[in-house]
Order: sequence, then structure tokens, then C-alpha cells
Amino acid sequence: MGIRLLGLGARAVILVVFAIFFIAPVLWLILAPTKSDHALITSSPFSFGSFHNVAQAWNHLDAYSDHLYRRWIANTLIYSLSATAITLAISVPAGYGLALGKFPGRRVILTLTLVVMIMPAAALVLPIFLELNALHLIGSVLSVILPFSFFPFGVYLAYIYYATSIPSELLDAARVDGCGEWLTFRRIALPLAKPVVALVFFFSFVSNWNNFFLPYVVLADSNQYPITVGLSNLLASTPSFNPAVGGGGQSVNIFKPELALATLLAVIPVAIVFLVSQRALVRGTLGGAVKQ
Amino acid sequence: MASVAFEGVTKIFGDGTRAVDELDLHIVDGEFMVLVGPSGCGKTTALRMVAGLEEISSGAISIGEHVVNDLSPKSRDIAMVFQSYALYPHLTVYDNIAFALKIRRLPKAEIRRRVEEAARILDLQPHLNRKPRALSGGQRQRVAMGRAIVRQPQAFLMDEPLSNLDAKLRVQMRADIKRLQSDLGVTTIYVTHDQVEAMTMGDRVAVMRKGELQQVASPDEVYRRPLNMFVAGFIGSPAMNMLEATVERRDDALEIVVGEARIELGHATVAAHPALASYNGRPIVLGIRPESLEDAALVADGARHRLPGRAELREALGPDVLVHFSIAARQAVTDDVRELVEDVGDDRRLERLVSGVGSRATLVGRFSPDTRTREGDTIEVALDERSLHFFDPHTGLAIV
Repeated sequence: MGIRLLGLGARAVILVVFAIFFIAPVLWLILAPTKSDHALITSSPFSFGSFHNVAQAWNHLDAYSDHLYRRWIANTLIYSLSATAITLAISVPAGYGLALGKFPGRRVILTLTLVVMIMPAAALVLPIFLELNALHLIGSVLSVILPFSFFPFGVYLAYIYYATSIPSELLDAARVDGCGEWLTFRRIALPLAKPVVALVFFFSFVSNWNNFFLPYVVLADSNQYPITVGLSNLLASTPSFNPAVGGGGQSVNIFKPELALATLLAVIPVAIVFLVSQRALVRGTLGGAVKQ
Repeated sequence: MASVAFEGVTKIFGDGTRAVDELDLHIVDGEFMVLVGPSGCGKTTALRMVAGLEEISSGAISIGEHVVNDLSPKSRDIAMVFQSYALYPHLTVYDNIAFALKIRRLPKAEIRRRVEEAARILDLQPHLNRKPRALSGGQRQRVAMGRAIVRQPQAFLMDEPLSNLDAKLRVQMRADIKRLQSDLGVTTIYVTHDQVEAMTMGDRVAVMRKGELQQVASPDEVYRRPLNMFVAGFIGSPAMNMLEATVERRDDALEIVVGEARIELGHATVAAHPALASYNGRPIVLGIRPESLEDAALVADGARHRLPGRAELREALGPDVLVHFSIAARQAVTDDVRELVEDVGDDRRLERLVSGVGSRATLVGRFSPDTRTREGDTIEVALDERSLHFFDPHTGLAIV
């Protein structure tokens, strides 16, 4: 009995310690915009300041370079949604074809997809840069959207889904019922792929939203920056982080609370996408199709 | 509606497996043809070739007047019921049944009329707005049938449609499908592993084995006059008893010597199997259906032959009693017998067969429920020699 209690206690302690370790920074970040720059250092790290401070931090952030922050968020939404839309249009049919089609070269394409999938994105930045340069696309919106429209992980997810979750008899039934290959995909395979569409949408959107290196390399105009590059730019021009830019005759009202708010706001769209796609990920779409 | 014909149809898969070998089979317009055989005999492949879901390696398949080898499934105007039902899970029952009609762009009113008619026939009206996952197994099966009948196709193809239902429901659906088919008069090819379905549903039965057609005939003919040991052993439950025996001529009569027993054949039997005389002095395989055996104590007719044996197991089924008993004889073990035992998945019996048979063979008799036989009893079993079957042990063919 005693040993059991001791075990329970030890487990609880370990869980609490880890929870605190991971939750503390998030909590700090959420509370930071409620405090003034000074209070952030002097008051307790987990104290709540006031909503007034949040509003003030937002005014400062929004005023920065004539609403530049809003521009970055809008840019990121455009880049991410465009690349994700192209990704979905390509990877779901590609995964379907690779999983259920019979054509020469299928294995080679599948292997190549896997190889590209495990290759770190940063490794490809230089060749992609050269390619974009050759196509005179450097500095254009397309230079950010196009390279990320091919999402091998999405192809792989769709492939796995079709290879394991769609009974081939279902597609045979559609063919016998009068569907050609396109209609079989459009009327049966695609509607049944909702869970994987949601999954690909989520992963593609998040990876596009967090994409930093490529836009950092190919974009020069700060008006075109996505939020990731923008935030690093903001950090670099903040006196409290980079004293070299401090003062300079121009008043930049960007301090730690403003930065905390900027970071926090940048996470919100990803959180929303997660909540939306998570609902569609719920299993059971295929229930009743075939006898298990 | 149309006839369906296989002419020299062969299917060889990529790995070299010959799934269907030179199949010749003509299914006449409106006929209910059952393809039956153990798993891996090629029956499903044959069906899928008619549907266009499997390419034909050589030969020709015709539906009506037209060779359909190169037509895609959608152009063949056939409807198929799959073993797993293959209902579209994202569509309601109504939309599942209407799917093929919508693809063919029939007028809405016509689609509604046909779907409602099918739902009425199949008792699906209350479920039209439900999704397949909300239905029971039997209801799903009926939706799959509905999807086939609204099409009014040239032919129905059914791939073990009842194998996922429980035993009671299967009996009912068996009758329902048979009735529906004869009402609609649509040519039907029905694939099954279950010989009871084959016997009860088919106008004719085609027994297949390892890609080859063994026999095509009416269920009664296949049961009474199997062309070879495989068909004899596959059709009938419990299976036909197979024993090693020898033919001997004594005076004017032919006798079958099985173990210590001698069975004298009557004139009628010899007349029905004229070739048997040429086997004088040679081994044959003797086939005895369980119902040709009866507890001798219940048989008044003294003319019947009697086999002495020992009861090993008694299974009371109600209307009759299955008695497993051993006699002094040897079980016939041929490739056919081995394959049949393997197909049933009876490992213990297979082991006994492969490891060599002793001097005693176990038979199954279907006795009247009045039998007083108990396990361990020494019994006498009456045998009706007119219903015996004789096979050549080398070719496996029936001796007639």
C-alpha cells in the first residue's frame, strides 16, 4: 500500500515538473503583452498586468512602419493558402494514382517522393534560388508560392490513405456502375478522402506559415515579407534587442511586450487551422462501406 | 438481358499463376448459373473478367452477340454485387441505389421511380435516407442488391454475396435472391464457395477446380452423377465417403471388395456402370453418400448389404443422426481427397490422411433419428448398392 502510494506520488511529481517546464514559457508569452516593458522585468513573471497594456502594445505594433505588421500577416495568408491549394490539387490525385494505379515507373516515382520528403528544405534553398533566378522570378510572389506547392509529404499521406483505407472493391463498384477513371476518383475516391485532405491541408499550411529561409533569401522588399521574416526583421530593429539601432532620431515604440504580442498573434491562424482540420480528421467516414 | 459465353478463356496473372484455364461455358439468356469451387479455383477471377475488372489473357467473353474483351466495365452494361457489398459510405441508401442511374444521366423522375420500386421490392423504403453504416448486415446486402436491380442490366454478377451474413439470414436471402432473379429473368452468374447455395439456387452449377471447369450440369445431375472424384467430394455435406476397393467377378456377378466386406452388385447397378466390368481384378475408389447408409437395425429389407463397424461419434441433427463409424477398410487418399480436406481446413483429418491410413476407415452415415446407436457400439450398417459411385483411382474419373 505504502509503495503504491509512493509510486503514485513519484509519478505525479514527474508529470508536474515536466508540465511546468513546458507550460511556463507559453504562459509567460501570453502574459507578457499585458505588462509594460519595465514591469516585465520587475514584477513577478506570471503576474497579470492590464488589458490597457495589451491595447497599447497593439497600437505600437500596428503603428510600426505604417501598418507593416498587418501587411506581413496578409502576405503570409496569401502565400500559405495559395501554396496549400496547389498542394491539395496535386498531392491527393498523385497519392491516389500511386496507391491504386498500375503503370510502369510507379515504384520509382514513389521512392523519389520519399527521398525528397526526407530531404531538409534548407538543403534545397540554393538550387531553388538558382532555378528561380534563371526563370526571373526572384523577388516575385511566385518565388515563395511555387517551390512550396510541391509537398511530397502530402503525396505520401494521400498514398498511405488510399493504399490502406479505401477498399478496391469500392472503386470496382463505381467502374461497374458506369464511372470512367476520372468519375471514379471525382465521385468516390475524392469524397472519401476528407480525412486525408484535412491532414494534408493542415501540414502544408503549417509548414508554409512557418517557412522562413526561402522567403528570407528570395524577397528583398519588406512589404512582401511573410510574418516569419517580418518578425526577425522586427527583432533586428528593436532597440531593446539590438541597441545599435536604438534612438537614431526615430522613435520606434517596439519593446518586449510588443514583440511578445507580435509573436502571439502570428500563432493564432495556425491554431485556427488546427481546430478546423482536426474536426474533419475524425475517423469513421468509411463506416459501413464494406463488411469488416 | 443476354446470354454470356466464355470461349477458351484463360487468365494468367503477372506472377505466372494460371487462375483460369481454357474455360468454355455458355450461360443462356435468363439462366441462373452458379460457379462453385474451393478457394483459389478461379471462380471469382472468371466473374471479374466478365465484369471487365480483370483483363483476359486469351480467349473471348461475349455478352449477347458482342465480344466484350476490350470493353471497359462501364460499357458492358452489367451489374455486380460484391462480397463486401462495396456500398458508397458517403452516400445515403437512396443515392447508393441511384448512383449508376445518375451517372447515366437518366431523368430525375425516372430515377426516383426506379429507386422507389427497387426499395419496395427489397423492403428498403424506411432506410432510404440513412447512410450504410447505420444499417445491419442484411440491410446492406439488400442495398447492394438494389443497386444491381435498378440498372436493369444485361446480366447480374454476384460474388459470394451471402458469405458475410449469419446462417439464418443467409437461408432467407438465398430464397429472396432466387425469387427475385426468376421474377426479373435476368441472366445471373453467381459465385459461391458454399455448395448448399450452389445446389439450391442454380439452374445449373459449374464446378471449378484450379482454374479448370470440372462439370456443368443441373444441381441434381451434379449430385447424382458427378463426373469425377473432385465433384463427388465437393458437392454434398457431409462429404461422400471414399474407400479403396477392388472389383472382382464371381460367377456371373460383379463384386466390390472393400476391406473384409464384399458387396455384390445387382443387375441394375452393373447396367448403369457398364465400364465397371473392365476393372475386374483392379483397384477402384468406392464412393458412398452418407444417406446411402442406414442403421441395419432399422432396415426391414434383408436384401440390403451390411457392413460391420464400430460407432465412433454420434451427432443428432434433429431430422436425422450423423453417425461416424469405422470399418475394416482403407480410406482412399488421392490428390482430390487431399485438396478437398485442405479446403475445409480440417487439419487433423489432413494429418491423418497424409501420415498414411491405418487398416480402418471412418465413414459418416446419415441415419434415421430412430437409431439407438451409441458411441462405442458395434453396429451393422445397411448399404444401398444402387446408389454407389465408382471412380478410377488414377484419373479420378467416374466409372460409368
